[in-house]
Amino acid sequence: MIGMPASRIWNRVFTALAMAVLAYAVLAPLSSLDVLQSLGMPLLTDKLWFRLATITAMFVVMASAWNIIGGLTGYAAFGNVAFFGIGAYTVGMLITKARWPFLLALPLAPAAAAVFAVLIGLPLLRLRGHYFAVASLGVGVAVGELVQNVDFRGEPLFGGASGLFLPILAVPNRDLYFFYLMLAAAAVAIGVTWAVLRSRFGYGLIAIRENEEAAAVIGVNTTAYKVAAFALAATLTGLAGGVFAQWNVFVDQENSFPIGYNVEMILMALLGGTGTVFGPAAGAVVLQLLIQFLSGSLPITLQIPFVPDDAMPVLAQVVLGVLLMLVVVFAPRGVIDFFGGRSTLSIAYLRRSLRETSV
Amino acid sequence: MAALAQLVLIGLLAGGIYAAVGVGFGLVWGVLNIVNLAHGALVIIGAYLTWQMFAAWGVDPFLTLPIDAIALFVLGYAVQRGVINRIIRAPLLFTFLLTFGLNLIAVNVLLLIFKSDFRSVTTAYSGAGLELGGLVIPYIRLAALAIALVMAALLAILLSRTRVGLAIQAVGSDRDAAQLVGIDLRHAYAVTFGLGAAVAGVAGGMIAMIQAITPTAGEPYTLQAFVVVILGGLGRVSATVVGGLVFGLVEAFGQSIPGSGSVFANAIAFGVMVLILVTRPQGLMGRLR
Repeated sequence: MIGMPASRIWNRVFTALAMAVLAYAVLAPLSSLDVLQSLGMPLLTDKLWFRLATITAMFVVMASAWNIIGGLTGYAAFGNVAFFGIGAYTVGMLITKARWPFLLALPLAPAAAAVFAVLIGLPLLRLRGHYFAVASLGVGVAVGELVQNVDFRGEPLFGGASGLFLPILAVPNRDLYFFYLMLAAAAVAIGVTWAVLRSRFGYGLIAIRENEEAAAVIGVNTTAYKVAAFALAATLTGLAGGVFAQWNVFVDQENSFPIGYNVEMILMALLGGTGTVFGPAAGAVVLQLLIQFLSGSLPITLQIPFVPDDAMPVLAQVVLGVLLMLVVVFAPRGVIDFFGGRSTLSIAYLRRSLRETSV
Repeated sequence: MAALAQLVLIGLLAGGIYAAVGVGFGLVWGVLNIVNLAHGALVIIGAYLTWQMFAAWGVDPFLTLPIDAIALFVLGYAVQRGVINRIIRAPLLFTFLLTFGLNLIAVNVLLLIFKSDFRSVTTAYSGAGLELGGLVIPYIRLAALAIALVMAALLAILLSRTRVGLAIQAVGSDRDAAQLVGIDLRHAYAVTFGLGAAVAGVAGGMIAMIQAITPTAGEPYTLQAFVVVILGGLGRVSATVVGGLVFGLVEAFGQSIPGSGSVFANAIAFGVMVLILVTRPQGLMGRLR
């Protein structure tokens, strides 16, 4: 490694680290299989491990999906949680009301989210900048509200405020099953991003991000491309929602349309680096573990003197807000910028970032 | 007929609050080009200031309004000068995320201090009202409408008749030219945000008298402020006031439709917004720029 620039070395160290984490995440759950347990294999993963890992994989899907519309196309979508909720409710409704089997209902979750994205995208994607951002935020809020409150002949159509209870899926090693399912969704999301970035479609999206008029002039059908990107993001997010519904066996407005997810997925993509293949996934893993750590869900917890335990989740939100501020102010190109070889973390870098954007 | 008059009245009274919340939001958006997602948090900070002064020392809630304004002006000035000024030239996503982060901090700090209990300001005259043909109009709501209108008028005068106001308008229309003629950009931005926050604080003080408040009660007001500003048209105080009153009316009529109700507040707001954006993007009172 002598003679190599420091950034290359960092690059290799982080790639190796990421591969190790990935290999552990993929292989460790196998230790919970009965065959290996009976052979005396130590159990590497408990219920908590599976919970955290499945949620993290879920956020990898959502951050990667947001990256397609927000990072590649440059449209600041703030309401992607609507797609997650629609996916979750599609599976929830099909299973509880129509008694469909889970694996039959699951493909309809991304389909429903995609159809919704096309319908809502056609008017909304005509808007730009602030207008699109807040309009999409409005969609996220309004859809959740409608789902909870729409009545049909005096009965709540979608389970109302009490939500939907799904029957527990009868599969052996349920935790393992859903973790691998969510992991597969994450792999699909990353794979789709990779494929899009290498396609004519991806170049079109980047052209739209850089200059929409110019893109139109060189023959990119901007409306079709934008709606397609929005629908693609919705498909992946809806898939995550569909898996979530059966995994969690309970869906309601609060767990299917949490406004906080909108910003968390963006922050993850931003932290890892928007417009890249692996950036959003890396950001999702790091930030999700940090959020869980701060809210005291990890085995290692934080003890701060004078702060009672029940105030910790609230304090975690404050820390998240401060983190959001620091990333936005000091590292607008994502933390991955320091490791990818383009920049090094230094006082000079921070000062340059500041000077570029402040008055 | 009486029912119709009642709806109009309810709509206008609610619209006064929406106008008060929207005016500060519109000022910041128009001049700084920032959609302030922490606006609702500023409103609710004002509400808690009023509640705190009322509950701890028994100060009449109307007397707390100027104090709310001053406190929020100082807070807004400091936040703009210290934080938002540093990313004012960054792409829109960043200002969005930053103000969302500020909102997160403000709401959760309020939660740490005040917990999530409902708080309300109930004075001796809270229940009293003007009786008008079988309809009781609470004095507090009438006063809130009047204060909202007076406040908006004062802000409009400040912007068009004073040196500071002209500087703010100059910065809003051309940053670089304003700097060339010697306007201190950092100060002008901070004053703008401070004014927006002060108006939000007064609106919050009035909201504390009208509804029970929690630290998260401000969030719907952010979306509603956005809708109000779009409805009226960005760039003028008077347009925002019209937007607020119209929005109050739309909401009152929307919620009177059978089968609807207060649970659809956000859905109605959103529907109105999309309708306006698609059919008349410059707003009801706006001029195409």
